[in-house]
Amino acid sequence: MTKRSFWRLAATLLICGICAFFFIPTSKIRLGLDLQGGVHFELEVQSHEAVEADLRDTADRLQDRLKEKGLGSASVRVDGLSLRIEGVSAEQKPILEKALGFFGNYNATYDAQGARIVPSASYQQLLKEDAGKRALMIIEKRVNQFGVAEPEITQSGADGSRIVVELPGVSEAERERIKNLLSTPGRLEQRLKSKLDSSGYKGFPTREAALAFFNGQVPPNTELLPEMESERDLRRAGKDVAVKQKAEEKVKGWHLVETKVYVDGGDITDAHRAVNQTTDASEINFTLNRKGADDFATLTGIASEEGRLISIVLDRKVVSNLSCKEKIPGGSVRVSGSFSKEDADDFALKLKSGAMRASMKFLEEKSMGPSLGADSIKSGVFAALLGFGVIIVFMVFYYRWSGLNAVAALTVNLIVMLGLMGSFNAVITLPGIAGFALTLGMAVDANILIFERIREELKAGKSVPSAIQAGFDKVFWTIVDSHVTQLFAAMLLFIFGTGPVKGFAVTLTVGVVASLFTSIYISRFIYDWILERHPGTKTLSV
Amino acid sequence: MKIFENLPHIDFMKYKAVALSVSWGIIVLCILAAQPWKGANSNIKLGMQFTGGIDMQVRFNGDVQQDAVRAALVRGGLSDAGVVAYTSKKAGFKEYSIKIKAKKGQDSKDSTAQLNKIRDILRGLDATAANDQRPDLNTEPVGALADNWVKTNPLQVTGDETALRIAYDPIVKKVSVTREQFAPMTSFDQLPKDLPQVLANQIKSTYRLGNLSILKNESFSPSISGEWTQKTLTAVGYALIAILVYVMFRFTLSFAIGGIVALVHDILMAVGIFTLFGFEYSVPVVASFLILIGYSMADTIVVFDRIRENSHKPEYRRSSITQLVNDSINQTLSRTILTSLSVLFVAVCLFGWGGPALRDLSFPLVIGVITGTYSSIYIASPVVVYLEKWFPRHDNLKQKHA
Repeated sequence: MTKRSFWRLAATLLICGICAFFFIPTSKIRLGLDLQGGVHFELEVQSHEAVEADLRDTADRLQDRLKEKGLGSASVRVDGLSLRIEGVSAEQKPILEKALGFFGNYNATYDAQGARIVPSASYQQLLKEDAGKRALMIIEKRVNQFGVAEPEITQSGADGSRIVVELPGVSEAERERIKNLLSTPGRLEQRLKSKLDSSGYKGFPTREAALAFFNGQVPPNTELLPEMESERDLRRAGKDVAVKQKAEEKVKGWHLVETKVYVDGGDITDAHRAVNQTTDASEINFTLNRKGADDFATLTGIASEEGRLISIVLDRKVVSNLSCKEKIPGGSVRVSGSFSKEDADDFALKLKSGAMRASMKFLEEKSMGPSLGADSIKSGVFAALLGFGVIIVFMVFYYRWSGLNAVAALTVNLIVMLGLMGSFNAVITLPGIAGFALTLGMAVDANILIFERIREELKAGKSVPSAIQAGFDKVFWTIVDSHVTQLFAAMLLFIFGTGPVKGFAVTLTVGVVASLFTSIYISRFIYDWILERHPGTKTLSV
Repeated sequence: MKIFENLPHIDFMKYKAVALSVSWGIIVLCILAAQPWKGANSNIKLGMQFTGGIDMQVRFNGDVQQDAVRAALVRGGLSDAGVVAYTSKKAGFKEYSIKIKAKKGQDSKDSTAQLNKIRDILRGLDATAANDQRPDLNTEPVGALADNWVKTNPLQVTGDETALRIAYDPIVKKVSVTREQFAPMTSFDQLPKDLPQVLANQIKSTYRLGNLSILKNESFSPSISGEWTQKTLTAVGYALIAILVYVMFRFTLSFAIGGIVALVHDILMAVGIFTLFGFEYSVPVVASFLILIGYSMADTIVVFDRIRENSHKPEYRRSSITQLVNDSINQTLSRTILTSLSVLFVAVCLFGWGGPALRDLSFPLVIGVITGTYSSIYIASPVVVYLEKWFPRHDNLKQKHA
């Protein structure tokens, strides 16, 4: 073997080895929902509702502010996608302008009766994206609670308003339950920690310890709720947050909390991290709507007077306990403490995620049983293998030894395809299996073109080596051109499709690329190698 | 082995006018038969993804006739339901596909209600249900099963509700997986072998085994139905433009136009025949049409490439374009046929043995590969000949070198 052949063989084997690494063992291959069974939802967040909700909240706040500024006679009402302010006299106009100056996200136009303010396009976009993000977060949380292995939750659409939830292995009978779970808004509540509970921020280590403390009976109008170890705690302990799984979630402590809910998550209009101008420490700001502001004032009043903790409860779990020094009116709250930047972000997210700002609409619901998938796999794989077999028989029958060359190239093609798909972590779907077989059928076309050309050149009287040379050289651009057009179609399919169709597109794209490599490089290499071993051969089995 | 022992000399271009009119005639006939102008009442069968609605596949244990299913649905007020029988892989079972188009403005609450209604109607087709009031294990929601055990606590697990849920949930899951595998279970002996005896006994006494299993259940909101149609047309449009530009860049404009005309011909032919045979359009089927676009063009390029190569040869310098095209087609005829055959083999295998979903998907390919081969010869090439004749620009073919 010459050096050149050796390196070409080494390169081929290396590529096959690398590709094999990505799909062996075969358990690495992920099956699509259509094959393994499961539930699929496509939801649309009604993000315009978030804009409407924001308008209503702004109307409340504006009314209050105008009252403060002495414009009690003015009225604010929601009018379509704008706020109409009326009952302002000409001399009061400067005050109105000043008041509206605080609503920077709105564009104001003034007239004789008052003004009209419209949320700016970028602000509307922000609200919509925010609604999408919140919905996504809530769904992720719910799905994790449900305990499904490997759920897939993806966001798409112009402002992230589409959410696709795929739950493998979940049966049709559970579909409705999950649907309910996904579409009900989150429950974030602000309550008071019971007077009887003296465990403070830490809480009781176990439920039993807590029960023992209360003599085995939970006192009336209270309940024991767990506090989970949060990402924040893990970060503090120096552990990797990303590896935290649902099953590993640990209870940090138990708290006795009053059942009365003072402020509900629906009343929180916004929450974000801010930086304190003087101390440079991270803080959390959150805003409440008018009802929420009144309730929060009551809550903080009691908590500060009686020196009790406020428990933030999210979906029946304590998220955090806060203390407060004084009654806080106005509904605009700043929480300071020893927060790191991440802590503050986490907390703000939790406050926000408690409530969905917009409802969700189910665009698609699918559930597939695993038995149907098993049937599909059986017949799909059988048909694909049958097709592959027919091609092999045909090539060997028609081109003899050269046909075997094509089969070798095709086999490498198959390995490369599987490897590339494995490395993309692509999902195999039923159309994907069909795509596999079809791609192999198309890949062999390149070999047919080459072989036909070699035959033609041989017939024209060329020697075997120069016929092979000419065969590959002259067909090269034909193969490239025909592969490029197929690639166009495959890529558009990728853009167009979702789910199974995308799987189809991935297979096709990968197959086309792999076929370019195998038909030109591998087949050529095999010919060269044979010529090397049998120099001066006069005949070629083609 | 060879298809042609000697190079064939067929005068393809002699019949180009006949070929062009016959094949476009077939297309027009297909369109007339499909009646697309009738809108929703046309003969084009669209899947639920395109129209919005419910698409279910169910399996009955025992001999439940198609008429019985249809009659039950009609009795339940679902007279517009389409019921189609599938051949079941398992002996003694009957499988049906049930499709119901959504009404305009129907929202997700309606579809849930409708799904539940269908499920109740289908459950009613169980003869044993009449004298056995116990719930059916095969269609019982998993939540209800878990609730039942948490309430009765047959394993005497100590602890509060959370502890009970933790104890029973994995067992419920196991039962659920088993029944999905058998879909539907026909005997209590099929319950998981490692199920605690107490629980197995409780299941046997509180549940009966119904004859129904829902294999697939899809529901699409009508509000996104138009979206798919639009997406499809956009994708096809982009594909055509991309290919047109590429072929123009690699060959000349007449080739590009010839190629696109052939492509449109292949799509229309495949769409027409697909519709004529009463197949239903689903998203994967549309995907297979997109593949067809890529493949049909690849086939045409083989012929085009040879025409271009020959046009540089001295012996064709003085010959007519008809002669050039004819010879090129003859020279590439065997490989045009062979390359199509290889794909056709696979497409036919998928069509014949791939199961119902792949059958629909591979049919356009079977048609398309055949017409694609024909159109490379009889649609694309004549268009090039006509264009070159009508707009003779000297050296048109010879300007571009590969």
